[in-house]
Amino acid sequence: MSHLLTMTLSDLRQRIRDKSVLLFAFVVPLALMGVFNLIFGTSQDLDLQPVTVAVSTPADDPLASVVPDVLDGLDETDGGVAVTVLELPSDEVSEAVDDGRAALGIEVPAGFGAAVSEGEDVAVTVSEGESSVETAIALSVVDGALARLHAQSVTVGAAAAAGVPPDELEAVAAEVASGGPAFTVVPGEAATQQLSPAAALVAGQTGLFLLFTVSFGVLGLIEERQNGTLARLRSMPMASWLIVAAKALVSFVLGIVATTVLLTVGGAMFDVDFGSPVPVGVIVVSVVLAATSVMFLVVRVARTAEQASVAASIVALVLGIGGGAFTPISASGALGTLLDLNPIAAFMRGLGITSGGGGLTDITVPVMIMLGFAVVMVVLSRVIPDRGVVS
Amino acid sequence: MSQPAAVRSAPDVLVVDGVVRRFGDLTAVDGVSFHIAPGETYGLLGPNGAGKTTTISIIAGLLAADAGEVTVAGERMGPQAVAPKRHIGLVPQDLAIYPELSARENLAFFGRLQGMRGSALSDRVAEVLELLGLSDRAKGPTKEFSGGMKRRLNIGIGLLHHPRLLILDEPTVGVDPQSRNAILESVEALSVEGMAVLYTTHYMEEAERLCDRIGIIDSGTLQAEGTRDDLLRLTAEADTVRLSGSAIGPEVSAALRALPHVERVDAGPHELTLLVHDAPARVAEVVTTASAAGMALTGVEISRPDLESVFLHLTGRALRD
Repeated sequence: MSHLLTMTLSDLRQRIRDKSVLLFAFVVPLALMGVFNLIFGTSQDLDLQPVTVAVSTPADDPLASVVPDVLDGLDETDGGVAVTVLELPSDEVSEAVDDGRAALGIEVPAGFGAAVSEGEDVAVTVSEGESSVETAIALSVVDGALARLHAQSVTVGAAAAAGVPPDELEAVAAEVASGGPAFTVVPGEAATQQLSPAAALVAGQTGLFLLFTVSFGVLGLIEERQNGTLARLRSMPMASWLIVAAKALVSFVLGIVATTVLLTVGGAMFDVDFGSPVPVGVIVVSVVLAATSVMFLVVRVARTAEQASVAASIVALVLGIGGGAFTPISASGALGTLLDLNPIAAFMRGLGITSGGGGLTDITVPVMIMLGFAVVMVVLSRVIPDRGVVS
Repeated sequence: MSQPAAVRSAPDVLVVDGVVRRFGDLTAVDGVSFHIAPGETYGLLGPNGAGKTTTISIIAGLLAADAGEVTVAGERMGPQAVAPKRHIGLVPQDLAIYPELSARENLAFFGRLQGMRGSALSDRVAEVLELLGLSDRAKGPTKEFSGGMKRRLNIGIGLLHHPRLLILDEPTVGVDPQSRNAILESVEALSVEGMAVLYTTHYMEEAERLCDRIGIIDSGTLQAEGTRDDLLRLTAEADTVRLSGSAIGPEVSAALRALPHVERVDAGPHELTLLVHDAPARVAEVVTTASAAGMALTGVEISRPDLESVFLHLTGRALRD
């Protein structure tokens, strides 16, 4: 164990002095997170502005009052638009829009309630100033309310045709107007597996650069062979597998530190919470093991440090991009299954679960995917003919 | 170079017995056997590609032998062996040091891997730094060292833990004359301390200066071994004659081989090397014959029998870099 510790500590000391690992593990990914957030952040975190809507409704028409009521209720819903309703006479609505007092004008005609009650068609006039996301939201909400009223009129017409007594038609109309939808959408207890755009950015860049970071450990074997220090290490009185184990341990330590720092700092920078530390820790350990294992494959096939560096970069980019480091990627069939088995995709899926409140049992599948990937890579690296570095 | 009788009678530190190593169809080492006693410096002399580094790799436990056996201090060596590796110090041909670490850190790192700890380690590191003349540069990163300083540190790591056998693989390659001389003096001092040294080189003068016994290796085979005088006797006192010039065609070599006193002829691109008995008396005939055969001569050099002559005598080829 003392040999293992001596080699690991010495290697870590050299990596820190070399500074390349610091750049790849911390500086570049954090800088990229910042850049990507600047590019995509505004569209992803839309800040809705308050809007004023001019509305005219006929007096003593309770059904017509639905329109200002739904607009008033908009800002009460979570994340809604703050709407100021300006109730005006019908001839001043379009004028209010024209002179900028209101962004949207809605005129409900006289006899609206009676027409709805009798199942007749009725036209509501809308005048819009400069189009915006806020006015579009207000319009879609009014449109939905009017659609329900239309459904009410159709129901009332059908009821009248079916011989429902006139004194009961008003009750039917009121029930349709006030009744809720036929189904209710309730958030489930299971985690969503979907990261917010900012969380996906942090997790994706962390996963991508993890693959670069761990390469500094294992691929050091090739560097040692080229420098001649590998021969000297092998002449030391210790088991030769300790040399490989030390490199793996260096990769593992670098990977754990880099991933933890990036998730913590990135999370703080973008106000992202990845969830409970224990399941997040399990996910981090699993993805670092998976990333380290793939480097053993690279070290088997590469002859020189340059070849290994290129191969590691290709592996990092393929797994990182395929795992959704820049943008989510989905596919069906065999390709979809292959994408699901990508450890970076599993890493992001796992963090999606924990950020949604998932615990240890909820992350079983992504963790098994990452550990399974690690096992397969290690087995493959034992099967592929050695070029004199690993064994 | 000569050793005390007590040292000579001690058990051999290294015994190499019939070692064979193949790489595919190539037999890099073919039945090599020799031994080294405590305090003895043994030189393995041969050109590049002769099998020196492969032999050393097997002795140091970096490569497995396909046949034969290596024992160090009575313990069998192999890639998985641990105990015999405590007795060896390897100085590879490459500069096997870490550039980001200082000289002191390099020495301490390999010392720890050799099992040294505490004040024994720090005292020995300081001692070796002093021996290498690197005390004043002990703290700076070795990437800022000159080639000669790196070479000295490379040797220092090998002898840090007082190994019973120090293996030096061409330690003076690419070294300036001043550093080279310092390295050779260091090696001479080691045998005085009772350390067995295995020294590979293709520089004849290094082998002659340092080694108690010399093994001449070529094409993976140990052609001959013994003291310098033993080896020189093999040439039957033939001198070496070097003819330099151009237009060295096969007809020139053939004409020279036909002369009665010429034993060997080896043709290089700009030089012919011959073994000639009684060269001072025969050199005129040699020059005339070469010239008549078409060679444009620019120089002639006669030297007394040396290891170069021995190598030429044994292999038919000159010992070149």
